[in-house]
Amino acid sequence: MKQYFKNTWDGIYTVLVGMRITFKHLFTPAVTIQYPEVKVKLPDRVRNRLYVNMDDCIGCDQCARACPVSCIEIETVKSVPGEDLGITSNGKKKALWVTKFDIDIAKCCYCQLCVFPCPTECIYMTDVYEFSEYDRSNFIYKFSTLDNEEVEQKKINHEKFQAEKEAQKAAVAAAKPKPEAPAQPSAN
Amino acid sequence: MNYYDILFYLFAIITLASAWFVVTTRNVIYSAFFLLFTFFGVAGIYVLLAADFIAVVQIMVYVGGILILLLFGVMLTNKITNVDIKSGTANLLSASLLTGVLMGALVSVMIFTDWKVEPAEIQTTTIKTLGTMLLTDYVLFFELLGILLLIALIGAASIARREKE
Amino acid sequence: MYQFFYDLTGNVIISTIAVAVVPLVNILIVALIGVYLERKVSAWMQDRVGPNRTGPLGLFQTVADFVKMLQKEDATSTEIDRKLYNIAPVLVFAGTFASFAAIPFSKHLIGSEIEVGLFYILAVSSFVVAGILMAGWASNNKYSLLGSMRAAAQIISYEIPTAIVVLSMVMLTGTLSLTQISEIQTAHFWNWYIFGGPGLALSKFLLIPFMIVGFIIIFISTLAEVNRTPFDIPEAESELVAGYFTEYCGTKWAMFMLAEYGNMFAVSAIVSILFFGGYQSPFGYLGNTLGVSWLIPLEQVGWFIAKGWFFIFIQMWLRWTLPRLRVDQLMSLCWKYLIPYAIVNLVIIGIISLL
Repeated sequence: MKQYFKNTWDGIYTVLVGMRITFKHLFTPAVTIQYPEVKVKLPDRVRNRLYVNMDDCIGCDQCARACPVSCIEIETVKSVPGEDLGITSNGKKKALWVTKFDIDIAKCCYCQLCVFPCPTECIYMTDVYEFSEYDRSNFIYKFSTLDNEEVEQKKINHEKFQAEKEAQKAAVAAAKPKPEAPAQPSAN
Repeated sequence: MNYYDILFYLFAIITLASAWFVVTTRNVIYSAFFLLFTFFGVAGIYVLLAADFIAVVQIMVYVGGILILLLFGVMLTNKITNVDIKSGTANLLSASLLTGVLMGALVSVMIFTDWKVEPAEIQTTTIKTLGTMLLTDYVLFFELLGILLLIALIGAASIARREKE
Repeated sequence: MYQFFYDLTGNVIISTIAVAVVPLVNILIVALIGVYLERKVSAWMQDRVGPNRTGPLGLFQTVADFVKMLQKEDATSTEIDRKLYNIAPVLVFAGTFASFAAIPFSKHLIGSEIEVGLFYILAVSSFVVAGILMAGWASNNKYSLLGSMRAAAQIISYEIPTAIVVLSMVMLTGTLSLTQISEIQTAHFWNWYIFGGPGLALSKFLLIPFMIVGFIIIFISTLAEVNRTPFDIPEAESELVAGYFTEYCGTKWAMFMLAEYGNMFAVSAIVSILFFGGYQSPFGYLGNTLGVSWLIPLEQVGWFIAKGWFFIFIQMWLRWTLPRLRVDQLMSLCWKYLIPYAIVNLVIIGIISLL
C-alpha cells in the first residue's frame, strides 16, 4: 500500500520534473546553424576542392604520379629556346608549356598526397566545399591557361624546333667524315 | 411530409437495410460492421421519439461496448474469413412456427396498442424523470441489475485470472 | 445557434448546414494551426528552429502540406477490403465531428443544446473506435491490425476513468448539459470547479484537492483517448510504422489527421468546460463593464478557444517530454491507478456535495 502511494507520487513528480526541463528548453535559443545562410567556420588545413595556381606550375608531373586514384592528368610540351615562360614565385625557371592540367574532382579522394611533392607549392587544397554539378563532365577541372590554338602552336613550334635540331644534327653528322660514333665506352 | 418524416424514413431505411445485410452477408466482419449501422439507425429513431437519453445509451452500450467486443472476438478468432457460415435452411417446420408466433405477437402488439396520434408535447429532456423513476419506482430492478452486472464482472475476472496448475 | 439561423433564413436545411459548418471550420483551423504549432513546439523544446522556409516563420508549411496531400495519388494495396477501407476514415472523422455538436463555444454558439451533451460526447467517441478497428482490419496489414487493436483496447479502457470523473462532476452540478455546467461557473475564475465551484460554503474549500485529482485523472485519460504520446502505442512509429493508418495516403490519411486534431480540441474543450469554466471569462466581461452587450459572445468565443489551445499546448508539451508507455504499463496505469483513484474521488465528492 505504501509502495502504491509512492508510485503515484513518483509518477506525478517525475512528470513534473520532465515538464520543467522541457519548459526551460522552450526558451533556449536554437542551436541550429541555418546552413546556406550561416556557415560553420572550417578549421585550418581542411581538405576540400583542389586548386592549381598555374602561374607557379612548372609541369613536373609529380602530383599526377603521387595521386593514388590518378585523377590528375598532365601533358607538357618543351619550350623552344628564346621563349620566356617566366619564373615561379620561388624563383624556379619554367621550362615546359603545360598544355593540359586536368583534375577529375569526382575521382579525388582528398588525400592531399599531391600537395606535398609539388616543388613550387602551386597545387593546394582550398576551403571550398560546395561544388555539386548537374553533369558529371563538369567535374573535370581544366587548369591549363593555354587554349587549344595556343597548344597547337606550341606543339608545332616544338616539332619545328625538334626538326631543326635534327636537321642541324644531321648536318653536323654529315660534316664530320667518319667519327668514332660509339665514343663513350658506357654506350655498350 | 416534413423534414422529421424524411429523417425518420432515412433512419428506418438505414436500420432495416443494414439489419438485412447483417443476416444475409456471408462475411462475418461485414455482418459485425453492418450491425454498427443498425444500432446507429435505431439510435436515430430514438432521438426522433424525443428519447435522447435512451438514444445516447443505445450508442454507448451497443456501439461502444457490445459491438467492439464482438469485433474483437471476430478479429481475434483465427482464420475467421475462411469459415463457411451456415445460412441454409434447417428445421423448417419448428422455425417457421416459432417465427410465426413471434410475428403474430408483435403485430398484435402493434394493432392493439393505444398509440398517441395527436402531436404530443415534446419534452426537452428525459433524464430528470428517468432518474427519479429509476431510483423510486424501479429501484429494486435497478439495484438487482447492478448486482447482476457486478457478479458478471467478478466472474469474468476470476475466470480470466484462474491460474494453471 | 440553430434557432438563430432558423430565424434568419426560415429554412430548416440551410440553418442545419450553417450549424454544421461552424465546427467543421473550427476543426480545419485547429488542424491547420495545430500541425504547425506541434512542429514549432517540438522544435523549440529540442532547441531547434522548426519549419521556417514556407512563408514568414514557416507559417504556410501546413497549407503547403495540405495542398500536397490533396493532389497525392490515392495509392492503395491490392489486397485491401476496399469497401471498409473507404468507409473507415469517414467513420473516424464523423465520430470526431459529431462530438462538436454538443460543445458550446459560447452561450449560444452551440450546435445542439441537448440536455445529455456530456454523455453524448462520450458515446459518439465509440464511432471513432469502430472506425479505427475498421481501418485496421480493412488494410489487411499486420501493423494496421495490431495498431487498431491496441487503439481500441486503450480507448475503451480509458473511457472508464473519464466516465467516472464525468460522473462525479455530473453529481456535483446536477446536469449533463455542457452549457449549463459552464453557466454555473460564471463570471470569475474562483467560481471554476478547479477552485471548488461557485459559492463560499465550507464544501467549496473541501472540494479543491479532489477537484485537482479529478482534473489530473480526466486529463490523463482523455490524453490516452486521443492516442497522443505518451499513450501513442497504437501509432508507435518506431514499432508499427503508423499503426492503423499505415496503408492510407493522401486525402484519406488527411481525414485521420483531421480527426486526431479535432479530437485533441474536443477533449481540451471538455476538460476546460468541466473544470475551467468553459467559455466563461476568468475576470468578468469587458462587455459588461463597457455596457456593450454584443461584445460578450465574442469574448466568450475568444476565451473558449484560448482555453482549448492552452490544453492543446499542454498535450504537446507532454508529448515532447515523456517517452511512450509500454502496453502493460498503459493498462496498469489505467486499471490499477486511475480507476481506483477516480472511484475514491467520486465517493468523496459525493459525500462533500451532500454537505
